[in-house]
Amino acid sequence: MNSVRHYLSIYKKFLATSFSVQLSFRTSFVLLIVMDIFFYVSTLATVDFVYDHVSTIGPWQKEKLMFFISFMLCVDHLHMTLLSESFWVLARQIRTGELDFILLKPVHSIFSIFFRYIRPSSMTNTVVAWGFLFYYGSKVPLSTLSWVLLPLFLILSFMLLAIVEIIISTAMFWMTEGLGINFLRMQIQSLARWPDFVYKVLARRLFTVLMPILLIGSAPVRFLLDLKSWDYVAGMVAAIFVFGFLMFKIWSHALIRYESASS
Amino acid sequence: MSFEKNFPKWWQTIKISWSNYTAYRMNFFLQIIGPALVFFFVKYNLWSSIYDGDAHMTIKGYNLDQMITYHIWSMIVGLVAQGMSALNLAEDIRMGRISSYLIYPIDFWEYHTAGFIAFETLQLFISALTITVIAVFGFLPDITFTSLIFGFTYCVYVSLFWFILQYLTGIIGFWLEETWILRVILSILTAFLSGAIIPLELYPEWLVTLLNYTPFPYLTFYPIKMFMGEIGFFPKGYLMLGAWMVILLFLNKWIWKKGIRMYTAAGM
Repeated sequence: MNSVRHYLSIYKKFLATSFSVQLSFRTSFVLLIVMDIFFYVSTLATVDFVYDHVSTIGPWQKEKLMFFISFMLCVDHLHMTLLSESFWVLARQIRTGELDFILLKPVHSIFSIFFRYIRPSSMTNTVVAWGFLFYYGSKVPLSTLSWVLLPLFLILSFMLLAIVEIIISTAMFWMTEGLGINFLRMQIQSLARWPDFVYKVLARRLFTVLMPILLIGSAPVRFLLDLKSWDYVAGMVAAIFVFGFLMFKIWSHALIRYESASS
Repeated sequence: MSFEKNFPKWWQTIKISWSNYTAYRMNFFLQIIGPALVFFFVKYNLWSSIYDGDAHMTIKGYNLDQMITYHIWSMIVGLVAQGMSALNLAEDIRMGRISSYLIYPIDFWEYHTAGFIAFETLQLFISALTITVIAVFGFLPDITFTSLIFGFTYCVYVSLFWFILQYLTGIIGFWLEETWILRVILSILTAFLSGAIIPLELYPEWLVTLLNYTPFPYLTFYPIKMFMGEIGFFPKGYLMLGAWMVILLFLNKWIWKKGIRMYTAAGM
């Protein structure tokens, strides 16, 4: 309990410093908000335009797919706010050896590396992202239980995405230049932004079992749409435990590999 | 200065830039080629799912094969036309690294243009290889030499437009801490409005009419149509982008002039 309180107090400091840093560059702050809104609108509009010409994509009509997309946009919003920037910083820290100072700190390195940089500008877009989710959720429509479970599933999906991305980012320790890994990470996100039925059998199996990115959106949304589809959610929870365990193992191994460029 | 005097320094800079791009091959693959391949993979699966194996179904004149062909060319246009050179420009300004260029015999603009030429040469080679592999597997049955010539020539022209635009977003770094946000906004807007994600025929008519007055469709949609053999030589596209390039060049010159006056050479 003490340790949780300790980590929360550190996180509070991270949040405060991130706010002060971002608010000192106000143009960037505003541009980040604009960037996110453009992304949300263009993603939803693209699907909307396709549905002007077809009645279904796979087994889903427009409302269901729009709900799926807005669910993934909310996961993406959490990711952009809480995690995204840290991956780009990590690439630089490994290359320059700045990571030395972070590894010396008396907290777990995953915490101090991946939760250090928060984007307050993205926080302001919560209304937009959640607005889309509520709108399309009411169009589907969701049951009361599904509405209650929705925030929990968003957090679980975010956790799974974070775990997969941290595992991928460990490859930066083996490569001198980590920028490419960040681009790979972004591609993984774009694969996860579509429901699993879009992919052919082999790709679906690969991205559900070996690298469970399709579970991030498909598992919770299928369950929220049909509460009998609990097997997908069980798969997602299992994936969080298995890949979470793997993440810690691979991370420790990657740290051994770190060469400390500044030393 | 004469061409003979200038050529060696340009040649050396191009060679150095080429080495920089190819030094970390895996990184280059993941950063430049990987996204294009994944983007195509997603679209291939998505459209196969939409058509659901129905070879006779057409959407706005596209059957499944034509839709896949459209997206193959979209990938090629992305590789050739949308360069990623001049990415570190803002960082160079912020960290005070451009001071060196002020005393070099090659100026800042020339250095980055040489880098762009190296990058574009590399991308042309990669695109040619990609087309060959795809054609060997029979995915591009209607490919013709003429459409390739028209398509590639126009794409190189588009890449020049992109380079000038990215250079502009880079030198805004004199005022702005983070210019990558501007680049991402541009790429989101372009991907959506240029027909890179879905063909423009699928958009509402009023939007397409409006878009034709902007440079967006001329960056992806029309080059794809050239590769598909539906358009030949395209003077309207050259004129439209040419006019924008002239405006952007003037803006670049003006911003550089203003920016260099307030440059503090941090770290010197």
